[in-house]
Amino acid sequence: MFQHKRGRVLISATAVTAGLLLMTACGSSGSDAKASSSKSNLIAIITPSPDNPFFKAEADAAGAKAKSLGYKTSVASHDDDPNKQSELIDAAISRKAAAIILDNAGADASIGPVRKATEAGIPVFLIDREINQTGIAKAQIVSNNSQGAQLSAQQFVKALDGKGDYVELTGKESDTNAGVRSKGYADVISQYPDMKRVVRQTANWDQQEAFTKMETILQRFPRIKGVIAGNDTMALGAVAALKSAKRTGVVVVGFDGSPDAIAQIKAGTMDATALQPAALGAQRAVEQADTYIKTGKTGQPEKQSIDCELVTKDNADEFGVFARR
Amino acid sequence: MTDTLAKDHETVRAQQRTAAAQARRLKTLDSLFELRAFIALGVLIVVFSLLSDSFLTVDNVITMTRHVAINAILALGMLLVILKGGIDLSVGSTVGLSGVIAGELLQGLHLSPFDVVAYPQVWAVIVICIAVGALVGAVNGILVTRLNVAPFIATLGMLYVARATAMLISNGTTYPDLAGNPSTHNTGFDWLGQGRPLGLPVAVWIMIVLAALVAALLRSTPFGRWLYATGGNERATELSGVPVKRVKMAVYVISGACAAISGLIIASELTSAAPQAGDTFELNAIAAVVIGGAALSGGRGNVRGTLVGAFVIGFLADGLVILGVSTFWQMLIKGAVIIVAVILDQSQQRFRRRRAAASAVAVAAEDAEDDSRNPQRVTSEA
Amino acid sequence: MTTATRTAPVLRAADVTKVYGGTQALKGVSLDIVAGRTMVLFGENGAGKSTLMKILSAVESPSTGHIELDGRPVAFGNARQAADHGISIIHQELSLCPNLSIQDNLFLGREHTHQGGVLVDRAAQRKLARQVLGRLDESLDPDALVSELRLGQQQLVEIARALLQQARVLIMDEPTSALSAPEVEVLFHVIRELKSAGVAIVYISHHLEEALSIADDVAVLRDGRMVATARAEDVDLPWIVRKMVGREQASLFPAREPALGAAALEVEELSVADPTSPGRLAVDSVSLTLRAGEMVGIYGLMGSGRTELLECLAGRLPVASGVVRLQGRRLTGDIRRRIAAGLALVPEDRQRDGLVQSMTVGQNISLASVSRFVRRVLLDRRAEADAVNSTIAGVTVKTAGADAPIGSLSGGNQQKVVIGKALMTGPRVLLLDEPSRGVDVGAKADVFKMMAQQAHNGLAVLFSTSEAEEALHVPDRLLVLVRGRLVADVHPHEITRDRLMSLADGADTTDEAHHD
Repeated sequence: MFQHKRGRVLISATAVTAGLLLMTACGSSGSDAKASSSKSNLIAIITPSPDNPFFKAEADAAGAKAKSLGYKTSVASHDDDPNKQSELIDAAISRKAAAIILDNAGADASIGPVRKATEAGIPVFLIDREINQTGIAKAQIVSNNSQGAQLSAQQFVKALDGKGDYVELTGKESDTNAGVRSKGYADVISQYPDMKRVVRQTANWDQQEAFTKMETILQRFPRIKGVIAGNDTMALGAVAALKSAKRTGVVVVGFDGSPDAIAQIKAGTMDATALQPAALGAQRAVEQADTYIKTGKTGQPEKQSIDCELVTKDNADEFGVFARR
Repeated sequence: MTDTLAKDHETVRAQQRTAAAQARRLKTLDSLFELRAFIALGVLIVVFSLLSDSFLTVDNVITMTRHVAINAILALGMLLVILKGGIDLSVGSTVGLSGVIAGELLQGLHLSPFDVVAYPQVWAVIVICIAVGALVGAVNGILVTRLNVAPFIATLGMLYVARATAMLISNGTTYPDLAGNPSTHNTGFDWLGQGRPLGLPVAVWIMIVLAALVAALLRSTPFGRWLYATGGNERATELSGVPVKRVKMAVYVISGACAAISGLIIASELTSAAPQAGDTFELNAIAAVVIGGAALSGGRGNVRGTLVGAFVIGFLADGLVILGVSTFWQMLIKGAVIIVAVILDQSQQRFRRRRAAASAVAVAAEDAEDDSRNPQRVTSEA
Repeated sequence: MTTATRTAPVLRAADVTKVYGGTQALKGVSLDIVAGRTMVLFGENGAGKSTLMKILSAVESPSTGHIELDGRPVAFGNARQAADHGISIIHQELSLCPNLSIQDNLFLGREHTHQGGVLVDRAAQRKLARQVLGRLDESLDPDALVSELRLGQQQLVEIARALLQQARVLIMDEPTSALSAPEVEVLFHVIRELKSAGVAIVYISHHLEEALSIADDVAVLRDGRMVATARAEDVDLPWIVRKMVGREQASLFPAREPALGAAALEVEELSVADPTSPGRLAVDSVSLTLRAGEMVGIYGLMGSGRTELLECLAGRLPVASGVVRLQGRRLTGDIRRRIAAGLALVPEDRQRDGLVQSMTVGQNISLASVSRFVRRVLLDRRAEADAVNSTIAGVTVKTAGADAPIGSLSGGNQQKVVIGKALMTGPRVLLLDEPSRGVDVGAKADVFKMMAQQAHNGLAVLFSTSEAEEALHVPDRLLVLVRGRLVADVHPHEITRDRLMSLADGADTTDEAHHD
């Protein structure tokens, strides 16, 4: 009976805590919305879910830059859902935003909403991902996946002295970037006849899946020398699998430049990653939006690409969250 | 008129003889059916060992078993829920939530009123995570038993709620490096995923212990009996004075706790915890239970079958990776295996009904022969 | 269908056997059905009447034996095929869709369409529906929803549907159970009309006199066997009852010398709301006292409130008002607490409420008392097995063993398992709702003997029945329940069969009192 009572106390305590959490969450977003709706010097920032630190860094950098230029901001996530993206853009239109910074939810599905905003007189600046049409958005600023993949692959080859068996873990097979990166890797590595890709498996961008698959692959190919992964999350899964199999000296290379990966590079368990300057692209988009609002021009071509940067143990200290310090 | 009657009689006798023969044949078939999951597992092992040298090595079998353990632990909880005639879709999200809470606690709990950071001991972290899993299960249980929400809907709702809670707590980010810090006395969490007492991974030990506990629960406690009865006929069970609601509540709580244990193992293996961990794991757990011969309508299923089901799914996935088969084919083959398993189960049930009917007709034949030998009984009634 | 076929049967069952699970519902039954005549089938509950009707109409297929139509063996895959060949059945349970109109129900699956064959020709359907309803003296609107009709009217819609299908053989399973007296008259009129048009009628009813009045031929089923057939003019009611019951009354119903003890169960002014239609009382201010060692029967028809009374006492239904005492202490709480207090119920529908089909005989018997066998944490399975085996022997269950699946048992033995489960809880008061339902004659005698034995051992036994024979011979005291009210509390020897029937029908007194 005593135990029952304690159980109830615990439950109610948890419920109260959960309630408080919810209340704080609602409170902050509510005040944001009110403050920004009154004026039209609002920049709407719309990105995929901040689950992924990359998008969070992107949204944070854009927000900070806009505030420093004297704008109000509203930050929202479309969770890669084109419908939700369309609703968010409608909301920005009705609030007469001065500009929209968008990391879109699909190269084709986003054309309509972007056009709608443009026709309503609101300039749209695309970051991170392109859409399959030019002449609507004021700018499409994306990081150069192909160039980044080549950077990673070159470092991978260098670390392996141009020879040895290796494994490639690819991202979700339906995702364009997964294909672009995999091709970038192949373009470089295929020039070295002594490098042999023994397995190519997808791990769906997922750490646990990469871990499980890597463990199994190690059973079949215990003597592999390297792992090259389509993103850092999968590279970290491979690192955990190598650690659990007590394999050392295997070269692991990723892509993205996430803080966790940089920490592993510093610790020496990972070799390199290609850092996508998410913050830089976002900041650049906000700056061009500012120019456009003031002058009616951006002074830049629509398509702009930002090169990725190679992060290795030698320069790891120079990088923060998806940006140079 | 008498001619036709005699002819009818002949036909019936023949039908009864056939039925008796059929009853014997069906009995053999039935025992083969009973072992189908084992047979499937055997076939998998033989095929993969023929196709690759690296499949049937001690090391690989241990690795694969460790992968199986995560799903098997979920499936044990799911088995209880399915035996009751319910379903628990929230376990995958609970896996993620449990990992995130472990991450939050191991990174240090900032208590703002006192402006101190508390570092709970690892055992306390584990207990709290399991308690949170049980709490998610308790919410499922309350929704199902007190508020009469259909299990599918209640646990679908909790799938989102638990996942969202994990995202809110972690702010969407992954907790890296859960190995702990000697200065805060909270090291040792990685043992769960990486320790190997007596040569077997901790996860495998946990699976063995949990399987033994659940098997004992089902076979040798009133609770187990009540659970099978509730799944078989809830009305009759309630009329027998069984606390049906408490039984239902308990299975969801156990399922939630099992999911939390799985989440802890995953976080420990990776020494990092992602809030999106465990996505769609509930489907693998359901598949293991179903391949293991449990009926989704409740009342039928056991631990042995569920374990074999989890091994079939796990060995299949890992074997296909070893062979280098593409993910798309892996998904297709897994789907086919699940469907074939259910088709076989259905035919077994059909066989059983036919067998029962056939043996009853055979008994009827004996009765009828008794009657014709003692004609007195017939005339006295007519 | 001409008069030439008068003697040759239009439909014939030849040596038909039907097995459900382990139960043999029919054991080699043959029956001839002749055009233009009404065959009435008599038999107690569980004698196999409904099963035979389902086989004749292809709702079920026979395990062995076959059906002949016009002298040729036929094997219809389903009732629809049989209906297309002119064999229609009106079920005991209605098979209408309450959310559809009369018209939609009448033509369900046989819709009349316009020439294109796609759109339903509602005008044509409506006209046909009016015609057929007119034949039944019913001025119902074909577009009215079935859910808005009285039960009796719904029954007539079922009959109208069979008429529309131009049935050559019309099978009616208890068609009058929901009809009022004028509606029964209309139905009988229609039956005579159909007969003269050459339709063969097969008719089942619990109202023996009523059924005999419409019969041309009679057949009596007992315990899955056809025990007698005759022309209606050659037989009378006592003959039919004798054939139905089969053995001497004395051997079926044990003689008893009750030794009465203290009051075991006291019920004061108990009312129970009707669970299916709230606002109505299923049990209306019933008071009764049950003494240790006493065996009391409740006689009542369907809807009299007997089941609700027993389920309320067992804790299944809530008390609306009133007090129940068990051995002088007030009885409250859920089913579990009442079982612990010493009250156990054997429910009416043993498939739905009594047994778990997926479990074994032994597990079913110990289900209500399994927690008694816990040693420390785990079950002492040997102690459980001992107790189960002694219960199996005590209630004389015929089974291959405690591990046999429950489905392998006959209806009577399944009923004994449910009784064994109740007895294993060690009750002081044993409630049984229609304990003889769906039980063959031999097992029925066993069940009554067992009840008498328990009463002899000092239990108070309260059982309900809808069989007049049982009501008049089994209990020490008889209560008659009509529409939730207790209308008689008598010694069974003090009442005649006719008086009992008319009391229970409520037609002579209570009905008028209610309607005025």
